[in-house]
Amino acid sequence: MSMLQHAILILLLPLASAVVIALFLRKQGALASWLSTATAAVLAAISIILLVHGERFESSVEWLRFGPFSVSLGIKYDDLAALMLFIVGFVGFLIHLFSLGYMHDDKARARFFGGLSIFMFSMIGIVLADNLFMIFIFWELVGFSSWLLINHYHEKQSAADASKKAFIVNRVGDFGFLLGIIWCYWANGTVNFSELNQLGAAHGLVFSTAIALLLFCGAMGKSAQMPLQVWLPDAMEGPTPVSALIHAATMVAAGIFMLGRINVLMVPQALEVIMWIGTVTAVYAALCAIVQRDIKKVLAYSTLSQLGYMVAAFGLGSIALEHGEHKMVIAAGVGAAMFHLTTHAFFKALMFLGSGSVIHGCHHEQDIFKMGGLMKKMPVTFATFTIGVLAIIGFPWLAGFFSKDAILYLAMEKNTAVFGILAFTAVLTSFYMVRLWKITFLGEARSDAAKHAHESGLVMTLPLIILAVLSVFGATGWFGLGLYPKLAGSIADLIPEAHGSAHTTILLVSLAVMTIGAGSALFFYKSAATDTLEEKFRFGFSALTGLKESFDKLYNYYVAKVQQRFAMVLNFLEQIVLAGAIIRGLAGFAGLVGYGARAFYTGSLQAYAYWFLLGAALLWAYAAGIF
Amino acid sequence: MIPLLATAPVYGLPSYLFVSALLFAIGFFGVLLRKNTLVIYMCLELMLLASTLALVAFSRFNGTLDGNVFVFFILTIAAAEVAVGLAIIVALFRHRHTVQVEELNQLKH
Repeated sequence: MSMLQHAILILLLPLASAVVIALFLRKQGALASWLSTATAAVLAAISIILLVHGERFESSVEWLRFGPFSVSLGIKYDDLAALMLFIVGFVGFLIHLFSLGYMHDDKARARFFGGLSIFMFSMIGIVLADNLFMIFIFWELVGFSSWLLINHYHEKQSAADASKKAFIVNRVGDFGFLLGIIWCYWANGTVNFSELNQLGAAHGLVFSTAIALLLFCGAMGKSAQMPLQVWLPDAMEGPTPVSALIHAATMVAAGIFMLGRINVLMVPQALEVIMWIGTVTAVYAALCAIVQRDIKKVLAYSTLSQLGYMVAAFGLGSIALEHGEHKMVIAAGVGAAMFHLTTHAFFKALMFLGSGSVIHGCHHEQDIFKMGGLMKKMPVTFATFTIGVLAIIGFPWLAGFFSKDAILYLAMEKNTAVFGILAFTAVLTSFYMVRLWKITFLGEARSDAAKHAHESGLVMTLPLIILAVLSVFGATGWFGLGLYPKLAGSIADLIPEAHGSAHTTILLVSLAVMTIGAGSALFFYKSAATDTLEEKFRFGFSALTGLKESFDKLYNYYVAKVQQRFAMVLNFLEQIVLAGAIIRGLAGFAGLVGYGARAFYTGSLQAYAYWFLLGAALLWAYAAGIF
Repeated sequence: MIPLLATAPVYGLPSYLFVSALLFAIGFFGVLLRKNTLVIYMCLELMLLASTLALVAFSRFNGTLDGNVFVFFILTIAAAEVAVGLAIIVALFRHRHTVQVEELNQLKH
C-alpha cells in the first residue's frame, strides 16, 4: 500500500468505526468500546508507520465546482501534519485505552465511544486537510463532536448548558474564520496551503491584516483565546477522558496547528495582536486557576494558560521582516508553538487522565478540598501526576522545561514586556500546580470518598505510565536520539535555541520562576479542608474569583440586556412591519378585491346577460372610438 | 353591379333593417325578462333569425350572394345547436324537475 492510501485509511477508519457503532452497536457498549479502541490503536500504528517511512506527499481531488470557483478535498502530509498526526493518533489511543476503564460502568458507553471515533475522524481531517475550506468542514465537525461529548451526561443541566455554550462560543469564532477564508480566496484566488506558500515564495501574495486576524478568529474560538475563552472551563462537565483528549491535547491545539498552516499569510500588525491576545490569555487563565476548587477546572485554566503561551509564541516568533520590496517570514514562532504543543499534549493529557484516575478512585468527587492523602492510596497515579506537574512547571530536563524555555527565549529576544508577563505566568503556573498537587495528594483524607479511594486498574494506569515516560523524555529523548527531527522534520529546525549568555540567562530565569512559584505554594498551602488563600487574604481571593467570573458576567449581561432587547426590537419589527404590514397587508388587499368581485356573481342567469350587454356595449363604444 | 332580380323591391333597405332590429330587440328582452329556459331559448333563436333577415336584406340590395351563403351556414349550425340545446334542456328537466332560471343557481350556492 502506498503512503497516500495509508493516509486515506487513517482518515476513514475512525469514520467507519463511528458509523458501525451508531448503526449496529448502540446497545452493545462493551463491543462498541473495544471497536473504537481497536480503531484508535490502528490509527496510532498507521501514524507511526507514516512517520517512520518519512515520505511527504500531497494529493487532492475536486469536490465541487461552480464556474471558476472550485472546492477540493485533499491530503497534505508534511512535517507539520506528521507531528500533529502522531500526537493525535498516539495520545488519542492512550486516552481511548484509559476510557475503557474509566467509562466501564457508564450506561451510554456506546454513544461515548462512537463520539470519540467521530472526533478522531474530524481531528485527523483537520490535520491532513490541504486547504482552508476542507479544514473548515472538519473544524465544524470537531465542534460537533466536542458538543456531543461534553453533553455526555446530558441529564445534568450544567452539562447540557456547557455543551451549548462551547458550541455557540465556537460559532462566534468560526464566523470570523469563514469570513477570513472567503476573503483569502477572494484576494489570492486559492486557499490551498501549498499554492499559498508558492505564492508567498514568489512574492505574489496579497497581504492583509484583516485576513490574518479573521483567520485567527477561528483559532481564538477553538483554542479558547481571549475573549472567547469562556467555554473551555465549562467544558469540563464532560467525562474526564474527553477533557484530556479534546480539551487539552488535540482539539484546542488545532487552533495553533491551523495558525502554523497559514503562517505565510501573517503580517506584523496581525502578529502583534495575536501575541498580545496569547500573552493576556496566559496570565489571565493562570490567575483564575489559583482559586479553583475543582481538580478539572484547575487543569482547564492551566490548559488555557498554556494555549496562551503557544499563541503568544506564534505571535512573537513569526515576525515578517521587510527588506524593501521583499517580505520574509521567519517562522521561529511556529517551531516554538508546535514544540510546546507537543510536550503539552503529553503532560496535560497525563494530568487530565491522572485527575480522571483520582476522580474514578474517589467515586466521582472532584473537589480537591475533599480529597487529600491520596499519595499512599493511589501510588501510580501519584507518581505519574507528580511527573506531569514537574513537566508543566518546567523542572529541568523534563519535557516542559525545553519547550517553555524556547518560548521564553523567543520572548526575551523580541519583546521584553511579553517576556516579563510570560515569566510571571510561569511563576503562577508552578504556584497553582503545586497547590493542586499538594492539596490533592498530601495530608490526610478529608472525606469518606477520599478515605475509601483505591488505585485504578492497569488499563487506566498503563496510559498514565506511558504518558509519564513521554513527559520526561518527550524533549530530551528525541533530541538525544535524533528522533525529533525525524518526527517533525523542518519544524524542529525552527525551534529557537539560546546560545551563550542568553542560554544562561534563560536557564536561570526558568529555574528562578519555577522555584519561586513552587516554593511559595509548597510553604503557603496546607493540605486542609479550606483554601489558605481564602482564609488569609480574603480580598485577594475574592478579587481573583471576581476576575474569573467577570467574563461570564459580562457576557450574561450582554446577552440578557443588549442582545435580548435587540432581539425584541427585531421581533417587533418582524411582527408589525414584515408579518403585519407587508404579508397580512397584501393578503388583506387581495381578499378585499375578491370580496368586491364576488358581488358580480349573483347566481341569476339574467344578471349575467345584463353584464354581457354592458360588456358588449363598452366594447362597441371602445371600438367606435367614443373613449 | 348586376341586380339579381329584374324587379326592384317594394320597400327600401331601412325597412328590412328596422324589422330585423325589432325582432332582435324582442328576442333580447325575451332573454332578459322571461324565466322559462325553453322560452329564453326560443328568444335566442329569434335573435339569430333577426340577424339572418338583415343578412338576406343586405345580400338583396348589394346584388351579391355573400349574405345568402352566410344564411345557409347559420341555418345549418343553428339546426345542430338547437338539437344540442334542446337535449340539454330536456336533460336538465329530468335532473332538476324544473327549467325556471331563478331556480337554476347552484353555482352561486
